[in-house]
Amino acid sequence: MNSVDEILDYAIDQEQQAADFYADLAGRAEKAGMKEILLDFAAEEQSHKQRLLAVKAGDHKLTPEQQVLDLKISDYLVEVGASANISYQDALIVAMKRERAAFQLYSDMAAKVPEGHLKEVLQGLAKEEAKHKLFFESEYDDRVLRDN
Amino acid sequence: MNLKDLLSPFYVWQRAFEKPYTSIRPIQERPGAAAYRGFHINISEECIGCGTCHKICQNDAIDMVRVETYEGRSGDSGLRPRFDYGRCCWCALCVDMCPAGSLRMSNEYTWITSDPTEFHFTAGVEHTTWQDNPLGYHRAEGYHLYPPKRIEMEMLPPEVSVQSFDEVVAGYSEPQALLEADRCIECGICVATCPAHMDVPDYIRSIRDRDYEKGLQLMYRTNPFPATCGRICTRRCESVCPVGIQGEAIAIRWLKRFIVDQIQPQDYARILADQTGNSGHRVAIIGAGPGGLSAAYYLRKQGHAVTVFEAQASAGGMLRYGVPSYRLPDADLDKDINYIVSLGVDIRYNTRIGKDIRFEQLLQDFDALFLSTGLSVPSSMRIHGEEHPRVLSGLQVLADVASGRDPGVGQKVAVIGGGNVAMDAARVSRRLGAEVTILYRRRIADMPADTEEIHESQEEGCHIVTQAIPVEIIAASSPQQVSIKWGEAEMVQDPKGGRPRPVLQEDRMHVETYDCIISAIGQGSDLEFLSKEIQDQLAIEWGKFAPGEYQHTSLQKVFVGGDVANRTADAISAIEDGHHAARGIDRFLNPDARTHTDQEVN
Ligand SMILES: Cc1cc2nc3c(=O)[nH]c(=O)nc-3n(C[C@H](O)[C@H](O)[C@H](O)COP(=O)(O)OP(=O)(O)OC[C@H]3O[C@@H](n4cnc5c(N)ncnc54)[C@H](O)[C@@H]3O)c2cc1C
Ligand code: SF4
Ligand code: SF4
Repeated sequence: MNSVDEILDYAIDQEQQAADFYADLAGRAEKAGMKEILLDFAAEEQSHKQRLLAVKAGDHKLTPEQQVLDLKISDYLVEVGASANISYQDALIVAMKRERAAFQLYSDMAAKVPEGHLKEVLQGLAKEEAKHKLFFESEYDDRVLRDN
Repeated sequence: MNLKDLLSPFYVWQRAFEKPYTSIRPIQERPGAAAYRGFHINISEECIGCGTCHKICQNDAIDMVRVETYEGRSGDSGLRPRFDYGRCCWCALCVDMCPAGSLRMSNEYTWITSDPTEFHFTAGVEHTTWQDNPLGYHRAEGYHLYPPKRIEMEMLPPEVSVQSFDEVVAGYSEPQALLEADRCIECGICVATCPAHMDVPDYIRSIRDRDYEKGLQLMYRTNPFPATCGRICTRRCESVCPVGIQGEAIAIRWLKRFIVDQIQPQDYARILADQTGNSGHRVAIIGAGPGGLSAAYYLRKQGHAVTVFEAQASAGGMLRYGVPSYRLPDADLDKDINYIVSLGVDIRYNTRIGKDIRFEQLLQDFDALFLSTGLSVPSSMRIHGEEHPRVLSGLQVLADVASGRDPGVGQKVAVIGGGNVAMDAARVSRRLGAEVTILYRRRIADMPADTEEIHESQEEGCHIVTQAIPVEIIAASSPQQVSIKWGEAEMVQDPKGGRPRPVLQEDRMHVETYDCIISAIGQGSDLEFLSKEIQDQLAIEWGKFAPGEYQHTSLQKVFVGGDVANRTADAISAIEDGHHAARGIDRFLNPDARTHTDQEVN
C-alpha cells in the first residue's frame, strides 16, 4: 500500500467492514433495544465511508492539521467481547477501541512514510479516526458516565 | 326603581358640552423626581411570571397575560404583568414584592393619547420610551417585603451524626414552621415543576391556618409518600421557587415533613377517609418501591383489587434498601407504606417474578399489570482489576447496612462516584468508623448528588477529591486491602458545546491503598424477568422502558413506571408515574366510563 488511492481504498473498505460488523451484531443482538443502537452504529460507519468516498473523488479534503480532542476514555478500559448478549456500555467500548486501533494504525503508518502527500493523507485519516473515537467517547461520557 | 335611576343615563349628556377633563401639557417638560413612581419597567427576561405583583395589587391594576417568548421556560409561567393605568395608584407594592427583582418604576408620568384604551401595557414586552430609563422608584437595596432567609433547620452536629444512624435533620417546631410558611408568596410556580404537581401553596397555607389534617388531605391527592418525600425529596420545586432568586427558597420539603409529623398514624384513616369499592378488576404490580405502591394506593381508591409482587422481604424498594436511616428512618417510611397497605393492598413478599412466578402467568391471571422494578444492577467501571474482592458495590454496602449486616468496609475507604449512592455509601462508611475519600471524575458543581448531601458528607469528614479518574485496580500486599491507580483530569470545553469533559492527564497519576473501594457510578435495570419475546414487544431504550401516554406500553395490559421508565430516577417521579399509570389503568379497565377525572382517582 503505497499510493494515496490504495490507502483510501483500504480505509473505505475498513469503514464498510465496521458497518457490516455492527449490522451483523444487530442481527444477533439479544438485549432489548440493542438492535436499534447497533444499527445506528452501522449507519455512523456508513457515513464515515461516504466521507472517504468524497475525499477520493476530490469533493472533500482531509484536514491533517486539525486538533482533535482526545478524552482517553477507551485507553484504560478492559477489552470486551462482541457477544450477542452485548450491553450498550460494552458496545460503546468495542466501538471506541476499534476507532482507537484505526487511529493508531494510520498514525504509525504516517510516521513511517517521508514528508509528502501520502503522509498528509495518512495523517488526515488518523484525524478522521480520532474524531470518530471522540464521537463514541463523548457518547460514553454522556450516557454511561452520566452520573459519574 | 326610582326616578333618579331612570334618568341617570341622560345626565351624562350634560357633560357633552363641558370643557374636557384633560391637563394642559407643559410647554417645558418637567421631569419627575429621581425616585418618582412613574410608569412601570419590567425586565422581561428576569421576570418569571409568578404573578405576585398581580396578587398584591390592591386596585386590580395588573393582569397576567401570556407572552409566547417565555412559554416553556423552566420555572417560568410564560405570563407577564399587564398594567392598567386607569386603575394603578402608583403605590409600588408590586415593585416591593416582586421576588425576581425584575419590576421597578421609571420617573416618567406623561403619556399623551386620545385613545383611552391605550393606557394598558405589558411592561418590558410592548415598547415604551421609558423602558431604559434608569431613574424612578427602585426597591431599596436589601429591603424585602417578606423575609428572604429561610428558618434554619436544626441538625445533629457532624461530630455527633457520624456516631450513629440516627436521623440528622430535627424537623421544624410549630413556631418555626409557621414562620417559614409565612414566607410563601403563594405564586404556585412550584406546582408546575413538581413532577407530581403537588398543591404546594395550599398545603403551606394549611400550616398558616394550623389545619394540618387539611394539609395531609391535600398532599395525599397527588402523593401517598409525604413522610418520605418530606425528608428525601429531590425538591425540584425549591429550585424554581421565586423567593430563592433574591433570598432562599421556601423550605417546601421541610414544611411537608412538618405537616406529616403532626399527625399520628392511627388518625390517617379518619382524616383521609379513603373509600375503596370493588370494581371486580384485578391488577398485578411488580415491585413494592414508591412507584409500585403509589400505583397501588390510587388503584385501590378506584376499587381495583391490587396484588404487589416483591422480591425482597420488605416493601419500599430503594427507599428501604438504598437510602440510609439517618436520612429516612424506617418508622417514617413505614408510616407511608402501612397506610397504603391498610387500604387492602396484598403484598406477596420474597416473590421474584421471572423466578418464583413467570411473567406470562401474571399476564394470564390479571386484568392489568404495572411494572416498577427499579434499577438494581450496579454499573461496572470496566477498568482492569475491578473484580478484586475488596471492590464493593455501593448498592450492596447500603443494602447490607439496611438489613443489619456488616458490609465490612474496613478503616480506610475510597468511594468512586458523585451521585446519591456515592454520598450515602461514603456517609455510611463514616458511621462504620472508616476514613473516607470520595474520588469523582468531574467538579463538585457537576455532581448529580443533592448539594445538601455533598455539603453534609464533607461536614461529616468525607474528603472529596475532584477531577480524579480511576484507571486501574491493583492487588495490594495484603488480601484485605486493594490499591487504586487514578489520574488527575483537566476539564476541557466540549467543541460541540455541552458540559465540559474531564480529560485524563497521564503524567499525573496516583496510586493509593485502601481497605476497600466502593464503586458507586450508577445503576442499570434488570429486565431478565421478561422473556425475549416480551422484551421485543416493549419499547426499550438504553435499558429503560419508553412508555407512551399514561405509562402504557405496546403490550395491551402492561403499564410501566418509576426508575426503570423515567430519566429522573428519583422518588417523586416514581410516585407520579405510579399515580399516572393508575389513571391509565382505570381508563383501560373502564373504557366506557363517562369521565375519568383526576377527582375520581384522588
Ligand atoms: C442510595 C440511594 C439514595 C437515594 N436517594 C434519593 C433521594 O435522596 N431522593 C430521591 O428522591 N430519590 C433517591 N433515590 C432514588 C429513589 O430511591 C428511587 O428513585 C425510587 O426508589 C424508585 O422507585 P421505583 O419504584 O421505581 O423502584 P425501586 O425503589 O427500586 O423499587 C423496585 C422494587 O421492585 C422489586 N423488584 C425488582 N425486580 C423484581 C422482580 N422481578 N420481581 C419482584 N420484585 C422485583 C425490587 O425488589 C424493589 O423493591 C436514591 C436511591 C439510592 C439507591
Ligand atoms: S412579581 Fe415580578 S417576577 Fe413576578 S410576575 Fe410580577 S414582575 Fe414578574
Ligand atoms: S413555595 Fe415558593 S414557588 Fe411555591 S407557592 Fe410558595 S413562594 Fe411560590
